[in-house]
This record gives sequence, structure tokens and C-alpha cells, in this order.
Amino acid sequence: MLEALWEGLLLVLQWKAFGFMLLGVGLGFWVGLLPGLGGATTLALMLPFIYTMQPVEAFAFLLGMHAVVATTGDITSVLFGVPGEATSAATVVDGYAMTKKGEAGRALGAALASSLVGAIVGAVALAAAIPIVRPLVLTFGSPELFMLAIVGLAFIASLSAQGTRGMLRGFLAGGLGLLLATVGQDPQAGVARFTFDTLYLWQGLDLVPVLVGIFAIPEIIDLFVRGNSIGGNAPPGNVAKGAWEGVKDTYRHFWLTIRCSLIGTFIGVMPGLGGSVAQWMAYGHAVQSAKTPEEREQFGRGDVRGVLGPGAANNSKEGGSLIPTIAFGVPGSTAMAILLGGFLLLGLVPGPDMLTKHLAVTYSMVWTIVLANVITVAVCFLFLDRMASVTEVKGHRLIPAILVLVFIGSYTSNSHYGDLLVTLVFGGVGYLMVRAGWPRSPFVLGLVLGKIAENYLYISVARYEAAWLTRPVVLVLIAVAVAVILYPFFQAYRSRSRV
Amino acid sequence: MSRNASLALAIGIMLAAGYAVFAAKGWQWKAALFPLAIGIPLFCLAAVEVLWTFADKKAPEEPAQKGVALPWAWMLAFLAIIVLLGFPVAVALFVLVYLKLQAKESWLFSIVFTAAIWAAFYGLFDLLLHLPFPAGWLLEWLGLA
Repeated sequence: MLEALWEGLLLVLQWKAFGFMLLGVGLGFWVGLLPGLGGATTLALMLPFIYTMQPVEAFAFLLGMHAVVATTGDITSVLFGVPGEATSAATVVDGYAMTKKGEAGRALGAALASSLVGAIVGAVALAAAIPIVRPLVLTFGSPELFMLAIVGLAFIASLSAQGTRGMLRGFLAGGLGLLLATVGQDPQAGVARFTFDTLYLWQGLDLVPVLVGIFAIPEIIDLFVRGNSIGGNAPPGNVAKGAWEGVKDTYRHFWLTIRCSLIGTFIGVMPGLGGSVAQWMAYGHAVQSAKTPEEREQFGRGDVRGVLGPGAANNSKEGGSLIPTIAFGVPGSTAMAILLGGFLLLGLVPGPDMLTKHLAVTYSMVWTIVLANVITVAVCFLFLDRMASVTEVKGHRLIPAILVLVFIGSYTSNSHYGDLLVTLVFGGVGYLMVRAGWPRSPFVLGLVLGKIAENYLYISVARYEAAWLTRPVVLVLIAVAVAVILYPFFQAYRSRSRV
Repeated sequence: MSRNASLALAIGIMLAAGYAVFAAKGWQWKAALFPLAIGIPLFCLAAVEVLWTFADKKAPEEPAQKGVALPWAWMLAFLAIIVLLGFPVAVALFVLVYLKLQAKESWLFSIVFTAAIWAAFYGLFDLLLHLPFPAGWLLEWLGLA
């Protein structure tokens, strides 16, 4: 096995494979920065170019590109409050708040360093988990996967706002997200639900225009009304020093970063849940790590742990989602489904062969994830000053550029003008949520989880009727969901009794 | 925090959930299961939030944010010119007009900045990624596309 690991490294370091990896990293770097243009879309666009490549070169190119998208997506989230990727939305919550406080460098440093840790943890998990993962994946049927989605929602709804009222609003936001996920043609019966006779809504609400609207539009309005730069009147500080502080934060909260990386890897392994879920679960866990309600109040106002958690999970999920893709041919996400297409184009069959005959190719993927992220983080640190100086540019100069990015980002997801309208409508919803102090993260998680949860619920009820509720793992997950909801009350009670 | 914004959201969610439950009643159970499972508790929770907001009269109302209509007007105008003239023309026109009228920048800065943004847009999305950007309804209607 060690021999195959070493051979995998040598394969990636061959000049041709390494060159393709650099090309992929370069492309992924920009794709991550641009809102809306997703990693999965770019993977699909690049798939035709791998026909003439050797397997190692092709995966160095595709995975090199895909592995860094989440890393650079965090940069746009931190600097502009616009999620560079759907998987970087959670970073906006505290990352952009830090930028507004003049801590852009620290937020970027934390995002990049935690991304690197996450990528390495994900890659190590991929290398180590292949032999033992099969029983784990097979334990989880539809009822368990449905409950996992509910646990995720309970996590974020109960933790993203303060007190009973905050939790109620968290559940309302999450419920709205779940309800909106039902828009479009129902996969089971083919009924067009809430489409109002418009063809555009038949395929449901696309995540990218909704995300861009709900996060970017309120920030643009805020920037417009304030009339100054993103950093406001906060002193810009020394960016390089700030970034170093962000790196130190990663090690100050090292175990949190590792735990969030493991959450990302675990969610990545679970087919169908994907990176958008992983980041919010990790964010929920980061909030939960606050020891007092006062400490928890800082989340959403620029707590560095709110950047570290999603940053780590974002990148670790890649290694995780590669596990079922390689081992069983079951893609863990859309991007992995496209990558599976790459396997078939190259004549490779995922399954036992990838763990025996082509083990070196499998390990070359592990090395690609690690090397691509190391290179990207190093390049980002070199240009950090220039990146962060954007936050000092006058708001009125930035607004047209950000609006162009926002509109193009939403339009490119479906190439339909309806996407632009959706962005503005959800911009309005996002603005109201910000004004009312409602958490936006449960809404997004609800929207992400809605389709998956509905599918699993339908299969569970159709196959087991009410008996699915009595399965042991389901009972454990119900207990976890209840504990997650009750935990803030317990924490408040404990801190009151201390006083 | 704005009480009115919270009330608007809660009432909006109540209406949406109520409509979802009402509409789902006429569907096959396969299609109705999830909207009903979500819609009914959501309606009840939203009603609780509305009642809570009405009951909680002590909560201070944050003064309305001023000057919010203007950014919305700019965004709607941008949307309108994208639909009418297509992205390539709309990007250049919007950036230039915004910089001149709203940001009150000099002609030189406005033109150079607009050219840079347009070049980045055209180079990246059109030349490199070949993303399809239709010409816009007005240009098509005039036969200029």
C-alpha cells in the first residue's frame, strides 16, 4: 500500500501530469472567484478535453481544478459578501462581517489555512478509509439519510440565532427553504408544483440565483446606503500580519478545524448530501463550540471560528465524496457524478479494480488534492495584499463591478432571464431577513436539503410505512436532533445558574 | 432589528405555507406528502411568530433605512437593459452610466473602468468560456442582432 502511495506521488509529479494539474489549478482558481460559475459546470465543460489524456493526467487536470474551487470561492465570500460558490455561502456569514470590521486579512488567512487543513484531512481520509468505508455507507438507507438531513437542519436552525424566538425564526427560515425546494416537477408523480404555469419553474428554483440574491443583494444595498468602502471606516490594518493572525487562529482552534474537516469528509461520503450541506453542518458545529450564549452572539458578527468551520469542511468533503465514487461508483455529489463520467471516458471502471489494479491512480488523486491546495494557498498568500486592498476601494466604484458579477453569475447557471428575476426576488427576501435579524443560513440549508429530504422521505414511507421511524440508527438520529434543539436551552440554564 | 420586516416575513411565510397546503390537497399523495409535512407545521410556526410580534409591543422599532429605493431602482434598471439590449451592451452601458451619474466619477475614469470591466466580461465569458449571451429583445426586434 505504501508503495502504491509513493508511486501515486511520482505519477502526479511527472512533468506532463504536473503541467495539466497546474492548468487545472489556474482554471479552478478563477472559477472559484467568480460567483455562479460552479465547479461542477466547469468540470462538465472541461470533460471533452480529457479524451486524449492518460488517466493520471486527466485526473490531475480535473481534480486539480475541482479541488481549489472551494478554496478561492471563500475569497469572494470574504471580500465581497458574494458566495464565490454555492459551497462557500456559509463563509459569507462571519467572513464578510470580519471584512467590514477591517479584518479582511485575518479572515482570508483563516479561510485559506483552514481550507488547506480540510483538504489534507479529506485526502488522508480518502487514503485511509477506502478499505473500511463500505460497511458504513451500506448501513445508511433512505430513512437514515432523511434523518441525517433533519439533524442538519435542526443543528443550524437552533444554533444560528439566540433564544427561543431566534430558534423559532431559524425553524421558520429552514421550513421556508424546504417548502421552496418543492417548487417544480415532482420526481415521483410528475405533478408540476407551485409553477404557476411557467416553464422556467418546472425544473425548480436553482440554488445559485437564490444564493447570490439572498447574500449579495443585501450587502450591495448596505454598501450603497453607507456610501463608503466595504471595510467602512475600520482601519485597514496590516493585511499580511492579519493573514498570519488568521493562520494562527487555525492552530488556536486546531481541533475545531479538524472536527469540521471530519464533518465535511463524512458528509462528502454520504451520497447525495454534498458540499452545500457540509459547510452549514460545520458552521453549526463551530457555533456550538461557543461556551456561553454571549460568546455565541458573536457568530454572524465576525467570529473567526465561523470562517474556520466552513472553510475546512468545504475542502475536506472532496476527499470524502471521492470515496464512494471510486470504491462503489456511487457519486457523492454532482461534481463527482461528472467525474464518474470522466472515469468511463478513460475506460476505468470504479469499484474493486480501482483499489487493486489501479491503486496507484487512486492514490495519485489523493496527491492531486493535496498538491493543488498547497499551490493555491501559497499563491493566494503571495497576492493577499492586493486582494484585500479591494475592500478599501470606494463602494460606488465597486458596486457596478459587483452587480455585473452578480447578474452574470446568476444568469450563467441556467442561461435564462428568469434567473435574474429570482436573484432580485430573493435579494428582497434576504434584505428583509437582515433587517429583521432572521438567520439566513437555515433557509439556505432547507433549500439545499429539500429535494434530497423529500426523496428519502418518500422512499422511506413507500417502503417501510411508519416502521422506518423505529429503525435503530433513525432512533439515534432523532435523539441527536432533539438534543441539538434542547442544547441551547441547557446552555442558557447552565450559564444562568453559574451567575 | 425591524419589527415590520419580521412581521412581513412571518405573514409572507404564513401565506406561502397556507397556499402550499391548500394546493397540495388536490395532488396524489406521492406529490403531496412533503409539502403537507412541511407546510402544516410551517403555517403554525409562522402564526406563532405573527402573534408573538403583535403581543410583543415593547420591542423597539428600528428606524427605516433611508435611501434604499435608489439601489433597487439601479438594479431593476440593469435587469431591464439586460433583457432589452443583451448582456454585452448592457454591461458597458450600465457601468458607464452608473459611474457618471451615481458615483460622479470623471469621464476618463468612467470610460477606462467601463472598458476594463467590459474587456474582462467579454474575454472571460465570451471568448474563453463561450457562454451564450442572447442579444436582447429590443435588438432582436429591430433586427440588429
